[in-house]
Amino acid sequence: MKLSDYLKDKLFIIILVILTYFIILSFMIGFKIIIAFQVCFTIIYFLLFIIIFLYDFIRKYFFYKEILLKLDMLEEKYLICELLSKPNFLDGEILYQMLYEINKSMNENMRDYKEKVNGFKEYVEMWIHEVKIPLAALILYTHNKRTAKALVKEINKIDNYLEQILYYIRSDTTEADYIIKEVSLNKVIREVMLRNKDVLLEKNIDITSDVGNLKVLTDYKWLEFMINQVISNSIKYMRDISNKSIKIKAYKKDKQIILEILDNGMGIPKCDIGRVFNKSFTGLNGRKVSSSTGMGLYIVNNLCKKLGHRIDVESKEGEYTKVVFSFDNNLFYSEVKNME
Amino acid sequence: MKKILIIEDDESVRNELKELLSNASYEVLVLDNYTNMLDDIINVHPDLILLDINIPYMNGEVLLRNLRKVSNIPVIMVTSKIGEIDEVLSMSYGADDYITKPYNPTILLLRIGAVLKRSENNITDVIFYHDLSIEIKKGIVRSKDEEVILTKNEMIIFLYLYERMGSIVSRDELMTELWNNDEYINDNALTVNISRLRSKFRELGIRNAILTRKGQGYILL
Repeated sequence: MKLSDYLKDKLFIIILVILTYFIILSFMIGFKIIIAFQVCFTIIYFLLFIIIFLYDFIRKYFFYKEILLKLDMLEEKYLICELLSKPNFLDGEILYQMLYEINKSMNENMRDYKEKVNGFKEYVEMWIHEVKIPLAALILYTHNKRTAKALVKEINKIDNYLEQILYYIRSDTTEADYIIKEVSLNKVIREVMLRNKDVLLEKNIDITSDVGNLKVLTDYKWLEFMINQVISNSIKYMRDISNKSIKIKAYKKDKQIILEILDNGMGIPKCDIGRVFNKSFTGLNGRKVSSSTGMGLYIVNNLCKKLGHRIDVESKEGEYTKVVFSFDNNLFYSEVKNME
Repeated sequence: MKKILIIEDDESVRNELKELLSNASYEVLVLDNYTNMLDDIINVHPDLILLDINIPYMNGEVLLRNLRKVSNIPVIMVTSKIGEIDEVLSMSYGADDYITKPYNPTILLLRIGAVLKRSENNITDVIFYHDLSIEIKKGIVRSKDEEVILTKNEMIIFLYLYERMGSIVSRDELMTELWNNDEYINDNALTVNISRLRSKFRELGIRNAILTRKGQGYILL
């Protein structure tokens, strides 16, 4: 709020004040009141109004300046009411009261909405766990009866999709269910490879894994899910060539541990690569492969953010795709460990 | 024969598990009365327990904690929940392993095998096969006057067959075992490894060490 804006707002009153002054002045001239009194009156009259306007302006100026500044800094703008001190002038008080009511109704709405979403999430999560029981029975059944591999493959797909939605729900709840500890990359990769063994063998994809004995600080299950998503992508978007391969390697770089998963599949077109982490983005490749949901990398990226890792994708269309995970070395953790 | 006790309340899962484990030549016991589990467990005295977390009357974790007060029987916890809390609780109550449903059957068998092996604690360095002695860590097979070196893959295959001597082992099982040791080889490589293993034993004078059972797998004699 600038002084000029304020004065413009009060223009009508100011004109009225000046008009009144001239009316009084003309009366004073008409009644032949001495000049000295007229001068005195003029000074006092205008001084009085200047003081009144100035006082009013300053009160409002500081109140609105405070609102605007705090509004600017606040991320959840609807919470502005909590940060304001109650104003001591009428329109300020009305505004404050309105903000307070709006804020309250907004918060109530938000709470209802959150409760609904959480209830739904809990239900879905419970539902997934329930579905996994018959799925386990099915898997065991197909194994025991030596059923066709094709059936097993489809069941595994269901399992993968179930897992995807489970982690999707997990990736944006605040009270995430994870535990950070030292995880051997070798062990996680082994688990993922065993899970995908049948399809890797069937498609004749060569696997090389060179991760040494490197360990990273992360949540085991989440990392397993993330690597599994990347490997499933590699399998899904493999080109039909004779030397299909997935190469995994890990090394230390500065204070980080880098895990690279490189395949020689169909790659990602240049125009798509910036958007692979977007929700529901399937891109040009998604049109070639029918089972693209566009959720895999989105979820992986979210989980990475949660855990404090980084994921990058590098690719050349028709040649390769390289997914790189970067894990930070936790200084605090290693310090404590050294002390022990 | 090792005795495995299954505590699982879902009937179809239980039956399939039973069949899976019997096929893998374990003696399988099933607990279907959940009121007095602790005593039942002590009575049958299994070598290993597969314990579901969600069982009637008593939570699997509580049962495990009570069991650990009186016995050291190896326990593998099985659950459909992928929750770190359950895992940490189970492990801290003394579970030997933790597997989430739906498990891959071959991986389940691997884990069971690993836990049983750990509890037996008889990891030997030298084993004997016919008149040969095999130094596992060095990968050397010795007869009276000759010695042959096995590669890592050949050794993995041989050991797996050796532990199941006389019974058929499928290619899939061998493959799983190799992949479980971070050797991600393909079908051709497995065939090559087996034929090389055969010729190495032939060199040492054992003609029909590994037989092929068509459509089923291999058998070590």
